[in-house]
Amino acid sequence: MELHILEHSLKVASIAKEGIQICTHGLIKLAFLPSKTRCKFFSLTETPEDYTIIVDEDGFKELPQSEYLSVAEATWLALNVVSGGGSATSSQPIGVTKIAKSVIAPLADHNISVFMLSTYQTDFILVRERDLPMVMHTLSSEFTLLRVVNGETVAANSTGVTNGFVKPKLVPRPIIHPLSSPSNMFCVTSLDPDTLPSVATLLMDVMFYSGGVKDSGASGDDSGHIRFFSFSLIEGYISLVMDEQTTRRFPNNVLFTSASGELWKMVRIGGQPLGFDECGIVAQISEPLATADIPAYYISTFKFDHALVPEENIQSVIGALRTNESAGH
Amino acid sequence: MSGSKPDILWSPHHVDRYVICDSELSLYRIGSIGSAEPKAGTLPLSQETAATLLAINSDTPYMKCVAWYPKHEPECLLAVGQANGRVVLTSLGQSPNSKCKELMGREFVPKHARQCNTLAWNPWDSNWLAAGLDKHRADFSVLIWDISSKYAPDIAVPMEKIRLSSAGDTDSGLVVTKPLYELGQNDACLSLCWLPRDQKLLLAGMHRNLAIFDLRNTSQKTFVNTKAIQGVTVDPHFHERVASFFEGQVAIWDLRKFEKPVLTLTEQPKPLTKVAWCPTRTGLLATLTRDSNVVRLYDMQHAPTPIGDETEPTIIERSVQPCSDNSVISSFAWHPSAQNRMVVVSPNRAMTDFTVFERISLAWGSTTSLMWACGRHLYECAEGEGAAEKDRDIATKMRQRAQNGYGHDTVQVWRNHLLAGDLEQKQQGPKQSLIYSGIKNIVKSSSGTTENRRCWRGSDRQTDVARYQSEERSLALRLCGWIGRGPEVDVEPFLKSLELEGEWERAAAVALFNLDIRRAIQILNKGASSEKGDLNLNVVAMALSGYTDEKKSLWREMCSTLRLQLKKPYLCVMFAFLTSEPGAYDGVLYESSVAVRDRVAFACMFLNDSQLPRYIDKLTNEMKEAGNLEGILLTGLTKDGVDLMESYVDRTGDVQTASFCVLMGSPGDVVKDTRVQCWIENYRNLLDAWRFWHKRAEFDIHRSKLDPSSKPLAQASDHT
Repeated sequence: MELHILEHSLKVASIAKEGIQICTHGLIKLAFLPSKTRCKFFSLTETPEDYTIIVDEDGFKELPQSEYLSVAEATWLALNVVSGGGSATSSQPIGVTKIAKSVIAPLADHNISVFMLSTYQTDFILVRERDLPMVMHTLSSEFTLLRVVNGETVAANSTGVTNGFVKPKLVPRPIIHPLSSPSNMFCVTSLDPDTLPSVATLLMDVMFYSGGVKDSGASGDDSGHIRFFSFSLIEGYISLVMDEQTTRRFPNNVLFTSASGELWKMVRIGGQPLGFDECGIVAQISEPLATADIPAYYISTFKFDHALVPEENIQSVIGALRTNESAGH
Repeated sequence: MSGSKPDILWSPHHVDRYVICDSELSLYRIGSIGSAEPKAGTLPLSQETAATLLAINSDTPYMKCVAWYPKHEPECLLAVGQANGRVVLTSLGQSPNSKCKELMGREFVPKHARQCNTLAWNPWDSNWLAAGLDKHRADFSVLIWDISSKYAPDIAVPMEKIRLSSAGDTDSGLVVTKPLYELGQNDACLSLCWLPRDQKLLLAGMHRNLAIFDLRNTSQKTFVNTKAIQGVTVDPHFHERVASFFEGQVAIWDLRKFEKPVLTLTEQPKPLTKVAWCPTRTGLLATLTRDSNVVRLYDMQHAPTPIGDETEPTIIERSVQPCSDNSVISSFAWHPSAQNRMVVVSPNRAMTDFTVFERISLAWGSTTSLMWACGRHLYECAEGEGAAEKDRDIATKMRQRAQNGYGHDTVQVWRNHLLAGDLEQKQQGPKQSLIYSGIKNIVKSSSGTTENRRCWRGSDRQTDVARYQSEERSLALRLCGWIGRGPEVDVEPFLKSLELEGEWERAAAVALFNLDIRRAIQILNKGASSEKGDLNLNVVAMALSGYTDEKKSLWREMCSTLRLQLKKPYLCVMFAFLTSEPGAYDGVLYESSVAVRDRVAFACMFLNDSQLPRYIDKLTNEMKEAGNLEGILLTGLTKDGVDLMESYVDRTGDVQTASFCVLMGSPGDVVKDTRVQCWIENYRNLLDAWRFWHKRAEFDIHRSKLDPSSKPLAQASDHT
């Protein structure tokens, strides 16, 4: 297996809901006018609390400085697992499940904090730039490490420095944050970049004017319903995560749907904002899922984490996680 | 393509059909304008050709790429790759036959929807259709579909998961979800082409590498990391050569050395949109960049991929602008069989039929013929047989002269040599070298000039004409051929020889310049009475006999005006001489139709020591500029002479004369002049080119005799 260390230097930021209007100019440019910026990595996720932005340095320049904008202090690098092509194994687990044991758990063991972004196309594991030597040391036994430089993939040499690195503590990982599962179901989808202009106004409406939609929505008074929408444009690929109701607003045939048309339920992690320093949260969730071979997407935001699991598996997922939770107590 | 810029696709088998695809598919037939009456709906593509729209198909929205069925039948079966990754079979024109009917409407659906970037139909097993898709997580990006496969529900997928039964899929007999091969897991595929080496080899431009998939063993792939992964295409004439591109740069690969590009072409400022090898011409690659009005061509014909050689092969790059109105080109397609022909389409669907002109290469033959090559044609242009002798090309003339032994027998120019010959033996010392140095140098060294006034011969009248004499002037007169050896200035032998040659006017003029009017009149009479003689000469003689030195006479007045109407230059100068003021003989000296040697001889007799060198200098420069060989008399075979010869060669190309002159005439340094050596070598090469081996050998022998410094040529040794 290959682990690609991508060349984007990323910033993770939060925009308060009440301050979104001062940022819309930059966000629209980043989302819909890629030819007007040099940005290659942009993701926007709306949660009930805020908007989380993940953007590379070129894109970050498009955002204004404001009291509504909080930026996580570190610079982040995105890692991407590429399995060796050619092998025609039939059913592959999807998302974080696939990399839970090979990437997420070892990093947690070494106290490396990760920030996850699953998209329609792939999973990005964000680590702090300063943690990179440790990351490479940790993963070099399992992966061929490759670094992307000017678009070309070249071998990345592990620094070989092991002195001073703490020994991993191989202890069980109980789930320590409260979990909740909203009632709505989600689609992970994409669309042809050429058709983006035709749905741009609709997307803008979904992104920035969600308050109005909730009233007209069918499940407006559903207390378990959560507002969650994610858009990303990364290296030319668009990925969308939205609930089923929102997908119905799009014209036929614009959104990509898989042949089996899966829907996903969300597991939301955290009661208090999680912060960026705590390690092992992703591992706590993904390891039990991997053991049960349940596919999952995972999207971290500024305050909370979100896992998406197939709707038919939600009960067993909750069950499995509760078991782990109680084990911790 | 969906609503964007039109692309163009040529039918692989029907050379008059092509398809324009943008939001719909339009089938056109191309034909010559002359053959069909201009019908409505016919679009002119060039002055000779026009296209007729045969059919439109707008059944397949969200088109991303199109591939034409590679076999002859069914004729217009197309595969369309859509934005959601589905591949749909459709057809155009003609009521489809049964096989086509069965295939039409068939859909091939990947597990996860994402854009279909490229399609490639296997040219051998036309049931195999490869589709390249965008990345989707752990899914495969290269799917090879069997278009003839029957629909079979995928048992691996639990029935409850097959939920997405949108309206189009209800007729599920047409939907295929199980590909024959799945390749490129966890990757994206941007471009595809089957390799001619084996029908199971597929070259794919993946996200960050070029990969060769071998379907005989799908667990293995050969790959090379590169950014140039778009538009992979195999050279139809050289199956190991592949082109691919990234943004503005084209990379050329050799599959036998699949590590790095064998060469990269000059980067263009705008991103490329299409790269295609010319099917009718080896090593010609056409490229198109976005928003451009030119197609750029790279000629690699003479660059057959140097393996293991670090030097970049030479590529000839040029641009063609197919649209006369400068409009932007959206796409282009080479004609499958017509030489260097392509049709280009602009964003508004305007089409132009265009043939790329081959570069013309041109070469002169060693005789007068000129050859040029253009494409597969060779043209020759040769001198017509009927050309008049004097209009013939210098090469023809030189060749004829060489055949006739020119240069080996003495001719005019080196009479100098002979005339001076005796003197050379007698006289030693500084004067000797003067003989070859030309009259210009001879008169410069003149000293001890005596001036005398003589009577008209046969008359006692004193002339007021001053004549000058010195040893050097006599030598000059001898070199001009007027007088023979000896101290006496006696032109009689010269006059006799002129009479023999029938040069009456010239002889009369020489006699007159020697102050012998009677002799002049006698010569003119003789000329008038000779065979084919000109009776007008008698009239001239009559006029001459009336000569008077009275300044204000009617004779003088009439002669000085009417002489200008005389056609014959020598007659004209005779009267000019008689009507001139003493010492002012411009009418004689600058009459360019009079032979240089006669004018020089005249000058040596009648110009004083200050006038003479001035005149000679002026005349010399004139001769040098004009490259007039008569001027050799003045320059001698000195550096001046070589200068003169140079302008002669520049004007005529006659290296033959130049070579002989310089060799014959000159000892010493002049031959070492690089120009001289160049003429000689060129002349030898010419003789060789004409296969005049013997003439060349004769020339070499001749040369070694005359120029001892020339290296003896190595003898071809005979080992028999």
